[in-house]
Amino acid sequence: MKKKIVSILCASMLTLSMLAGCGGSDANKQSTSDVAEEQTVEDAAEDTEEDSEKEAETEDVAAVKDEVVVTMPANSEPESGFDPAFGWGAGEHVHEPLIQSTLTVTTKDLKIDKDLATEFDVSDDGMTWTVTIRDDVKFTDGEPLTAKDVAFTYNNCKEKSSVNDFTMLDEAVAVDDTTVEFHMTRPFSIWPYTMAIVGIVPEHAYDENYGQNPVGSGRYIMKQWDKGQQVIFEANPDYYGDAPKIKKVTVLFMEEDAALAAAMAGQVDVAHTAATYSDQSIDGYSLIHVETVDNRGFNLPCIVPEEKDGLTYGNAFTADINVRRAINIGIDRDELIDNVLNGYGTKAYSVCDKMPWYNSDAEVEYNQEEALKLLEDAGWKEGSDGIREKDGIKAEITLMFPSSDSVRQAIAEDVSNQLKELGIKVTTEGVGWDVAYDRAESEPLVWGWGAHTPMELYNIYHTLEDVGIGQAEYSPYANESVDNYMDEALAADDLEESYELWQKAQWDGTTGITQEGDIPWIWLVNIDHLYFVRDGLNVADQKLHPHGHGWSIVNNVDQWSWE
Amino acid sequence: MKKKKLMNRRQKVLFGLCFSVLFLIAICIAGVLCTEEARVTDFSRKNIAPCLQYLFGTDWLGRDMLVRTLKGMSLSIFIGILSAVISAVIALILGIASATMGKRVDGFITWLIDLIMGIPHMLLLILISVALGKGFKGVVIGVAFTHWTSLARLIRAEVIQLKESSYIKIAEKLGKSKWYIAKKHMLPHLIPQFVVGLVLIFPHAILHESSITFLGFGLSTEQPAIGIILSEAMKYLVMGKWWLALFPGLFLVLTVILFYVLGESLRKLIDPGSVHE
Repeated sequence: MKKKIVSILCASMLTLSMLAGCGGSDANKQSTSDVAEEQTVEDAAEDTEEDSEKEAETEDVAAVKDEVVVTMPANSEPESGFDPAFGWGAGEHVHEPLIQSTLTVTTKDLKIDKDLATEFDVSDDGMTWTVTIRDDVKFTDGEPLTAKDVAFTYNNCKEKSSVNDFTMLDEAVAVDDTTVEFHMTRPFSIWPYTMAIVGIVPEHAYDENYGQNPVGSGRYIMKQWDKGQQVIFEANPDYYGDAPKIKKVTVLFMEEDAALAAAMAGQVDVAHTAATYSDQSIDGYSLIHVETVDNRGFNLPCIVPEEKDGLTYGNAFTADINVRRAINIGIDRDELIDNVLNGYGTKAYSVCDKMPWYNSDAEVEYNQEEALKLLEDAGWKEGSDGIREKDGIKAEITLMFPSSDSVRQAIAEDVSNQLKELGIKVTTEGVGWDVAYDRAESEPLVWGWGAHTPMELYNIYHTLEDVGIGQAEYSPYANESVDNYMDEALAADDLEESYELWQKAQWDGTTGITQEGDIPWIWLVNIDHLYFVRDGLNVADQKLHPHGHGWSIVNNVDQWSWE
Repeated sequence: MKKKKLMNRRQKVLFGLCFSVLFLIAICIAGVLCTEEARVTDFSRKNIAPCLQYLFGTDWLGRDMLVRTLKGMSLSIFIGILSAVISAVIALILGIASATMGKRVDGFITWLIDLIMGIPHMLLLILISVALGKGFKGVVIGVAFTHWTSLARLIRAEVIQLKESSYIKIAEKLGKSKWYIAKKHMLPHLIPQFVVGLVLIFPHAILHESSITFLGFGLSTEQPAIGIILSEAMKYLVMGKWWLALFPGLFLVLTVILFYVLGESLRKLIDPGSVHE
């Protein structure tokens, strides 16, 4: 009997130790993430404490609260610091650089207004841009901002930027203290949109560590940066424009679940969140949704498969234009928005919805019958398994999504369900970005795009002679007329004229990239950016946010106010 | 005898063995049968708490968690079995080679064992899996290449001991080849050790498969693997959706325990030390 008890004890000890040993990794991971979370939240708490102390001090002077704490996704933290040459503001996700000022700015309706520039003009051949700048602007270290700094900034970006395209710029030259000339390599009518995102850096204070201690002439000064946790900005007292209403901005980097917890604990003023959490209600906060051009859609390779350098380009099924048209009108975007985004989104028909260069001919009505008819007429007949077939080709696609993105996964799943009703079999697959680009040349991938520049159209639809097989970069497609319109648009004399040409590139009445055209990409939704905002904080009028759920919200933080 | 017991010890062990085998087989069969269902999404039934219709509830894509859990477990079990078998075969070959093929080979293999044991399991596993492009292949090979060391040591020690025994020495004197001795005399003696060792690798393999998938270095997100289910559930715990993590987690623990019971029962039944109890 004794022996038995001992053996049972031993067995259970072994089990326990084994479980403890093996399960360790999971538990560890969880606890470390907990710790990180606590840390940031604590920091936020400290911060708000500090804030309240200061507030008490300054209460006599001004009873208005002028500080905010904002959360952002961890990947919004600029890896290489606040240097425009390494993607700050002018990177994959464009936004206003806050610390530095720009030559131009985009307005609420995404046209161009002037900031540092007092005047800009382009030569008749489109090869030289001449910009005159203000002469009363100083960097926060007291030195004046001159045309030399502007020229230096752009030449530096051209030389170093790996995240943004500066190949159209040949050289920037400072003619005198307030005039700078940009010599181009090719006409580039939308240059003002580039000027709106490149923050001007001081030549005298620029070295390899600039990203860590940025000096600019913008609305805010970076006071403190705790990497992996937070950045603190303070208003620039010598700012040449309207003085910022919000004097101190603290940005905390954390994931959505942590941001939600921080809001629940009342430690932040603005917490970014996702549609999944949108049905949560937090006392003292209200949910605001900002419309965006942060779109989601998928590519449909337009050519029959061919191999080059070990890569497959094209897809036998989606090479049929009728298939692409059927898919475009066979997806109920409203249903998608309700299912995946809890209603927080708008239907997307192009990569640039609601932009000045958007052609509304891209809009289509959901019409399943018409979609079915298109497929039938094109000879895609239903097989015994309910999947259509033509000449031995099955109506099958693999729809990929980036494996870490649950919204895109849900979109892929919903598209799969909807296309099944058309007799198209869609298999979903999560992939990493390391293989996604290559595989998207032959299979659809759920992408996210949307920027404040028409270059996006060019990047997606324009052919590239020397890349791959001479088709468009991300998904095989080529249309000479579309190419020509975009080339003309870039060579146009003024912006208004170029908008029209960009629109014609999308649909000119006979050809283009819309439903009646070649429809090489299917656009589904623009995802609203959601934030829990503390009651009493007014986040002013937000521009349409571009792709990326990070810095866009604070583009106009200087105009925010507390009630 | 004071009172008659319901089952004697041997019967109890047998019962435990049969129960765990049946349960694990049942999960595997259920998993195979619901491959399709585990991936079906239905947005009209999102986020339902456990009820009669959906015993384990549903998730944010309207997938039935019961089916997903079963499929996930069976996937884990298959991966576990596959990698445990590969692992055990590696251990057997290297163990025997180390003990019989002379000093230099022995030195090398012992060094290899020390080397692999010296690197934390999880780290090596992630390295191998990522290098092989993650996915099913990465996980299986990763787990297989990290779990053979202790069994290889055991077998090596056993073989060295056997080599000194008189019947092997006699066989050697009779001029039998090394291969003959290994096959005819050593292998039968090693089988019990080997089988038990093999079964006891399973629970490790399964836990490590789920861990690596949980961390995002394993199977891809559209697969209903337990690691994926648990890491997805993390995001929703803050909203009080406890069922997403609880049931799959319990099942994982249960499966691991059952494999352990299985291994222990087997050991009791075929190990000479306890077989006659």
